[in-house]
Amino acid sequence: MRMRSFLKVAAVAAVALLAPAAPLLGGAPAARAQDTTKLTMWLDTTGGAETADCIRANAIDPFNALGKGISVEATMLANNWDATRTALAGGGGPDIVGTPGPSFAMQLALAGQLADLTGYADKLGWNERFSKGSLNIGMGADGKLYSLPTEVETLVLYYNTNVFKEHGWEPPKTLDEFMALVKQVKEAGLIPLAGGNAEWRPTNEWFVGEFLNHYAGPQKVYDALTGKAQWTDPEFAAAMEMLAQLQKDGDFMGGLDRYYTATDAERLSAFGDGKAAMNIEGSWFVSNAPLYFGEAAGNDDDWGWVPMPSKDGSAIYDLGVGQTYSVNAKSANPDAAAAFLDFYYSPATMARLLSECGLMPAPMSLEGQDLSKVDPRLSEIIAGLDKAYAENNYGYTTWTFWPPATETYLIENVEKVWSGDMSVADYLAGMQKQFDTDKAAGAVPPIPAR
Amino acid sequence: MRPAAGGRRRREISLLPNHVILILLWIFAVGPLVVLAFNSVKKTAELGRNPLGFPRDIVLGNFAKAWEVGNFSTTTRNSGILVAGTVAGVLILGGMAAYSLSKLNLPGSGPLTLYLLVGTSLPIQLFLVPLFFTWKRLGLVNSLFGLILIYIAINSPFAIFLLRSYMIQLPSDFEDAARVDGASEWQVFSRIVVPLSWPGFLTVGLVVALSVWNEFLLATVFLTDQNLFTVVTSYANFATRFGRDWTLTSAAAVMMVVPVIVIFLSLQRRFVEGLTQGGLKG
Amino acid sequence: MSASIDLPRVSAAEAASARRRALFRRKVVPWLFVVPVLLLNVMVVAGPAIAAVYYSMTDWNGVGPAKWVGLANFQELAADPSFRHAFRNNVAWLLMFLTVPIALSLGAASLLAPIRRGGMVYRMGIFIPYVLPSVITANLWRALLSPDRGIPAALTSLGVPGFDRAFLGAPNTVLPTIAFVDNWHWWGFLMVLFLAAMQNIPADLYESARLDGASRWQEFRDITIPGIRPTLVFMILMTAIWSFLTFDYIWILTQGGPAGASEVLSVLVFKQAFQAFRAGYASAIGLTMSILVGIIIGLFGILRRRGWEI
Repeated sequence: MRMRSFLKVAAVAAVALLAPAAPLLGGAPAARAQDTTKLTMWLDTTGGAETADCIRANAIDPFNALGKGISVEATMLANNWDATRTALAGGGGPDIVGTPGPSFAMQLALAGQLADLTGYADKLGWNERFSKGSLNIGMGADGKLYSLPTEVETLVLYYNTNVFKEHGWEPPKTLDEFMALVKQVKEAGLIPLAGGNAEWRPTNEWFVGEFLNHYAGPQKVYDALTGKAQWTDPEFAAAMEMLAQLQKDGDFMGGLDRYYTATDAERLSAFGDGKAAMNIEGSWFVSNAPLYFGEAAGNDDDWGWVPMPSKDGSAIYDLGVGQTYSVNAKSANPDAAAAFLDFYYSPATMARLLSECGLMPAPMSLEGQDLSKVDPRLSEIIAGLDKAYAENNYGYTTWTFWPPATETYLIENVEKVWSGDMSVADYLAGMQKQFDTDKAAGAVPPIPAR
Repeated sequence: MRPAAGGRRRREISLLPNHVILILLWIFAVGPLVVLAFNSVKKTAELGRNPLGFPRDIVLGNFAKAWEVGNFSTTTRNSGILVAGTVAGVLILGGMAAYSLSKLNLPGSGPLTLYLLVGTSLPIQLFLVPLFFTWKRLGLVNSLFGLILIYIAINSPFAIFLLRSYMIQLPSDFEDAARVDGASEWQVFSRIVVPLSWPGFLTVGLVVALSVWNEFLLATVFLTDQNLFTVVTSYANFATRFGRDWTLTSAAAVMMVVPVIVIFLSLQRRFVEGLTQGGLKG
Repeated sequence: MSASIDLPRVSAAEAASARRRALFRRKVVPWLFVVPVLLLNVMVVAGPAIAAVYYSMTDWNGVGPAKWVGLANFQELAADPSFRHAFRNNVAWLLMFLTVPIALSLGAASLLAPIRRGGMVYRMGIFIPYVLPSVITANLWRALLSPDRGIPAALTSLGVPGFDRAFLGAPNTVLPTIAFVDNWHWWGFLMVLFLAAMQNIPADLYESARLDGASRWQEFRDITIPGIRPTLVFMILMTAIWSFLTFDYIWILTQGGPAGASEVLSVLVFKQAFQAFRAGYASAIGLTMSILVGIIIGLFGILRRRGWEI
C-alpha cells in the first residue's frame, strides 16, 4: 500500500520529467523531406556575427540558389573548434568540417575523421585551380588530400603614416634599421609596437615566427621543419634573443605587463591615435583598421605597410593558412559536399568574400574578378605574398606548419624567456625535443618543397 | 541581569556599524554593475574616452540591436526550458536522495557520499568525448531534453549535499509523529520534510538555475542546431575578438542579467515567506 | 496441541512479515529514494569517467583510435615541472578561497542577520554579482582593471601611489588578481547561504546570551558558528573541491599566463587535450586531480571521525 503510493508518485514525477522530451526529440533532422540533399556546416565566430552572415550571403545562399538539389545549412557556433572535435570523436559532426589550420586538419586526418578528397581534386580540376604546390599543405602523410586551405595570410609591418611623417622616419627594410627605429620611437616618447595578447594568447607566436623567419631566413626554417637543421641553431637563438630584447625593453605597449593586458581595442586605438608607431600583425588587420583610423575613430591618421624587415633587407612574406575545410569521413553525401567545396573555392566566390567580407582568398589566381571594392593596400599585400610564393622567398607561419604540440610549447614557453625564467638555449632545446616527438608521431604537416 | 530596555537600546545603537560596513560591501558588489549598465547605453566612440563614468548621450538602440543580433527571443526560450527542466529534476531527484541520506539512515551512505564527491571533482573536459559518444547513440544530441539529463546529473551532487545539510537540522518530532500515524516515507518526505526545508530547496533551485543559465561548454558541444542555442552561446557570439563592440556586448550582458535579477527579486519574497511559514523563526 | 502449535505459527508468520516490512522500510526504501538520481549520475559521469581511466593509459590524440602505453603518461607527469607548478598554484588558490571569501561572507552575514528593515536591499545587492556568467564578469573586470582606462588609472590620476601597473600582467600579482575577480562574483552567494542558515538559529539563544552579558564576538563564536556548522563545513569542503577544478576565470583572463604564473591543473588539462592533441596525457592529469581531491575528502572524513569540530 505504502509502496504502491510511493511508486505512483515517482511515476508521475518521471512522466512530468520526460514530458518535454516528445516534441523536442520529434524535431530531430530525420523528420525532414528527402528531395534535397541537406549538408551541415559550422561557421567560426572569430570574425564576429557580421562576418558569418556575410559568408552566408556571399557563399552559401548563392550555392543553395543554384538548384543542384543540395542545400547547405550553415550554423554559427561560438565554440566551433571544441564542438567540432568532440562531435567528430563522438561519431557525429557536420558534413563540411572546418578547422583552424592545416596542422589541425592533419590531426583529424590521422584519426581517420576526414574523407579523401584526392579523387575530387582530379575530377574537378582543383590541382590546376589552386596555386602550384599549395594543395600539398592539406595532404596527409599518405599523400592523399584531406583539406583545402581557405584564407591565405601573411604578416607585415604596419606603421602610422602621420607619426612617421611628423618625425621624418622611414619604414625600415632591414632588422638593424628596425631595431634602430624602435629606439628612436621610444626616445620620441612613443610606443614602438602596438602588440598585446590579452584576448588572444597565441599572439606570441606571430612574433616568434616573424623573427625566426626574418632573422635566420626561410631556408633555415624549412631545413628545421624538414629535419635538416636543428631549432637550436645559433641563427634561431640570435633571432629569439632579439625578440626577447624588445619585450624586456618594453617595446610592445610599453612593458611586458601591458603587453599581457592590452586588449585588441586598446592596442589598436593606441596605434590609430598615434600613441604607438608600428604594429606587426597579419593581413586580417586591414579589415579592422577602419575602426581605429580616420573619422570613425575620431583621428585623422592613416596607416601604411612594408614587408616585415629581414636581416638582409629582402622582402620575405611568411605564408599562413587561417582556416581549412574538409569533408567528414562519416558524411552520407560526400559528393554533394565536394560540389559545395568546388563552388566555395571558385575564384568568383573567393573574390566576393574578399570584396564583401574582407576575407583573404584561398591560394588561387583571382585574375579577371572584380576587386574594385578591396582596399588597394590589401591587394598590394596579397600581390607581394603571391610574388614571394612564386619566387620561393616565402617563410612559414608557426600555426600553419608547426605540429600542434610544438606550437603550444612555443606559445607557452616564450613568455618564460621574456620574463627571464628560461634561457633561449633551453627554450629552443625544448622546442626541438617536442618537435622530434611530433615528427616521430607523424604530426608534422607536409612542407611544400622549396 | 541587565534591564530589558537597556538591552534593547544597546542593540539598536550597535546596528549602526553594521550598516556602515554593509553599505561599503554593497557598493563593492554593485558598483561594477552600474558601470556595466552605463556602458550599455553609451556610444561606441564615447566608451573609449569615458570608460567608467556616467554616459553623456544615452543610446537605447544598443538593446534593440543586441536583441536582434543575439536572437534573444529564441535563445531565452531555450535557456528557460533548460533551466525549468533541470531545476525540476534536481529538486525532485536530489531532494529524494537528500531525504534518504539525512533522515532514513541509508545503508552504505558513506561510499555513496564519497562517490558523489569524487564524481564532482572530475573535470568535465575529461569525459566530454565519451559522454558525447553515448548521447549520440541514444539520440540525445541536439535535444534540450538530452542536455537537461546531463545538467541534472552534474548539478545534483551539490544539491543533495546542500539539501542534506538543511534537512539534518530539522527536528524529527514532526516526522516521527507522522510515521506513528501510518504515513509512508514518501508522504513524510513530500508533506513534512519538503515544506520545512523550503528555503533550502529555494536556494538550491536558484543555484542550479544560475549554473544552467550560465553554462557554456556543454551547451555549445551538445546543441549545434541554431534553433536550440542558449543565451550564453549567443552572447559569446558578441564577445568575439575583433571589431568587438563593447557597448553592444554590455547591452547583451544587461539583457541576460536583468531577467535573472527579476526572478531572484520575486523569489526573495517567497524566500522570506518560506522562512516564516516553516515556523522555524525562533 | 494443534491449536497451541497453530497459534505460535500464526504469530511467527506475522512477526516475520512485520520484520520483513521493517527491514524493507529500513534497508530498501532509503535506496529507492536514491536510485533515480544515482542511475543518471552513473550514466553521465561514472561511465564516461571509466573511459577516461582507460584513455589515461593510451596515447589518444582526442579524435582517433588510441594506442595502449601503460603508465607512461603518469611517469611523464611525475617529472613534468609544469604539473608541479600548476599544482602549487591550485594550492595557493585553495588557501585564498578557504580564507578570504569565507571570512568576508561570514562577517557580512552576521552583520546582516540582526537587521530587519532594509536587509533585503543589502542581500540583493551583495548577491547580484553571483548571477553574472563568468564571461561577463571576467570581461567587465578586465576593463575595470585596465591600467590605462580602468580604476587603477583613475586612482593614479588622483595621486594614489601603487596603482600604475597592470595587475593581470605581472607574474607576482596575476593569481591573486584573478582570485579577487572570482571572489567578487562568489562571496555574495556564500553570504546568502550562511545567512539562510543563521536564520534557522532560534533567536532565544541570542536573547539568553545577551542576558548573560556575552560580547558580540562570543555570540558569534558560541552560537552563530555552531548553529550553522553543517552548512559551513559543507561549503568548506565544496570550496576545497572547486578550488581544484577552477577554470573559467583563469582561462578567460590569462589562459594561465604570463609565463605560467596563473597556470592551474584544469587549464593544463584543457591545453593538453584541446590544443596540443594529447588527450591521453590530459586524462592522466585529470585523474590525478580527482585522486588528490579524493585524498582531501578522505582527510576531511578522518578529521570528522576523530571528533574535530569542523
